[in-house]
Amino acid sequence: MVVALVLFCWIGPLVYRTNQVATALQLANRPPSVRFPLGTDNVGYSILGRLMAGGQTSLEVGLGAAAFALMLGVLWGSVSGYVGGLVDSVMMRIVDATLAIPIIFLLLFIASMVTPSVPLLIFIIGLVSWPTPARLIRAETLSLRHREYVDAARTAGGGHIRVIFRHILPNALGTIIVNGTFQVSDAIIALASLSFLGLGIPPPATNWGEMLSNGVNYVFEGYWWQVLPAGLAIVVIVVAFNLVGDGLRDVFEVRLRRR
Amino acid sequence: MTSYIIRRSLQAVVVAMGVTVIVFILLHVLPGGPARAVLGPRADPERIAAFDAEFGLNKPLPIQFGVWLSQVLRGNLGYSYKLNQSVDALLAENLPRTIALVGMSTLLALIIGVPLGVYQALRRSRADDFVLSVLAFVFYSTPAFFLGLILILAFSVALPILPPSGPSGTQALWSQLPNMVLPVLTLALGIVALFSRYMRSSMIDTLLCDYLTTARAKGVRPSSIVAKHAVRNALLPIITLLGLALPGIIGGALITEAIFNYPGMGYLFWQAAQTEDFPVLTGVTLVVGVSVVVGSLLADVLYAVVDPRVRY
Repeated sequence: MVVALVLFCWIGPLVYRTNQVATALQLANRPPSVRFPLGTDNVGYSILGRLMAGGQTSLEVGLGAAAFALMLGVLWGSVSGYVGGLVDSVMMRIVDATLAIPIIFLLLFIASMVTPSVPLLIFIIGLVSWPTPARLIRAETLSLRHREYVDAARTAGGGHIRVIFRHILPNALGTIIVNGTFQVSDAIIALASLSFLGLGIPPPATNWGEMLSNGVNYVFEGYWWQVLPAGLAIVVIVVAFNLVGDGLRDVFEVRLRRR
Repeated sequence: MTSYIIRRSLQAVVVAMGVTVIVFILLHVLPGGPARAVLGPRADPERIAAFDAEFGLNKPLPIQFGVWLSQVLRGNLGYSYKLNQSVDALLAENLPRTIALVGMSTLLALIIGVPLGVYQALRRSRADDFVLSVLAFVFYSTPAFFLGLILILAFSVALPILPPSGPSGTQALWSQLPNMVLPVLTLALGIVALFSRYMRSSMIDTLLCDYLTTARAKGVRPSSIVAKHAVRNALLPIITLLGLALPGIIGGALITEAIFNYPGMGYLFWQAAQTEDFPVLTGVTLVVGVSVVVGSLLADVLYAVVDPRVRY
């Protein structure tokens, strides 16, 4: 499902060519037809073409933000769990405090201060979603820290950084990957929510949340084709990534159980 | 147990302090700092310098933090120059509506989600359990704003039986109940999926416990086993889940309020984000963060109280 959507977003525009830069007001708000399989929006963009362009942004931001959040979270969590003691307590209370503020509030707060662009949004969404992986990796590190092979690596003269990166993190990879897939779907929803609330990327660039937000203004005219495709696309991609995450978790847990 | 409650409360105080630090930092990474936040982006440097001197903003950051925190602790959350009202007054007006929305939705979600989870656990691996699981998965993955739109399309446009907008701020909530239906439903449906999934697995775990086998062996009626023995114990983890889900529910409330123009705290926050009204943004973020900390503290303490097996 994920592969199909990636193909749709990047190969699709090569097959189904549309004009996504110039507006065409005379073609605005057309219902689905042969020429526009999913109709057009309020300035005459083809919804199908827009779905592809918007999907690219959504996936880029989703993957980018997830990678960034994982990077921060893994570093934070492994250091916190490995060092332990007072440092661990302080670092984890910071995680608790960040988690206490719902992500959407933090996102809106930060987004209100800056003019968003794709790299900036990746940075912002990553910046607010790192605490969950941090907490998971810390727990994983705690359980791995006193294994014999870690002690052996220390005795053999391995430095702390080397032990963390070469011996602990590779063994926490399962947790990291599983959480990563959930981070992608969360980031896609975060971007969509932000855009829906009008603080996403400025036009003519688009993403699925922005398409929805745009369509809302015309819901009462009964222009359902401006709302349903983008919304369904979000649901499908999120379900897809969640399923991948669930599947991977089963795979990794089976491996652990057999060991 | 008392020592656990004390320890847990102290931890909550530390975390709440952390929330204030985060909000303080957010306010200060702004280009120009709080002065710009209050005076607006076009304020000239002299005015900013004068403002800084007046409010002690030219002092070192830790001292500023102390001054700011003492104001916050005294209940002074600042003044919104955009809305010409104190943030306290704005919150006093909007917060109760958000509490009503969150409370009603959570209650509705519990009323639907818990029996659903129990039913699924009893019908485990049958066709209806499978269908319900898939439905829960889809609802869980559907963002609140899309769910709200579908509900509007279905019940206000295609089948016009319910008003598409939330209640207005000028009248009492209870006098406009029809306007509450769609917002509450939007927020509740997402949580139902969460609760039913959790309740299902909790119930399945409980059903496998030895004491239920004993009860069955003693000849207790199956209906009584489920109602009296199993459900009660399976419900316990839901308390923890309520605490954990709180940030998500409040976040969902913001989006729900934005869709339906529901005049609550989330709507206030959303408007403030668009007009760059930083006193409101900081005030609401603080209140939300601290409520979540208190909420999860209550959930943990309540769990320790109702489940005497838990020893810390």
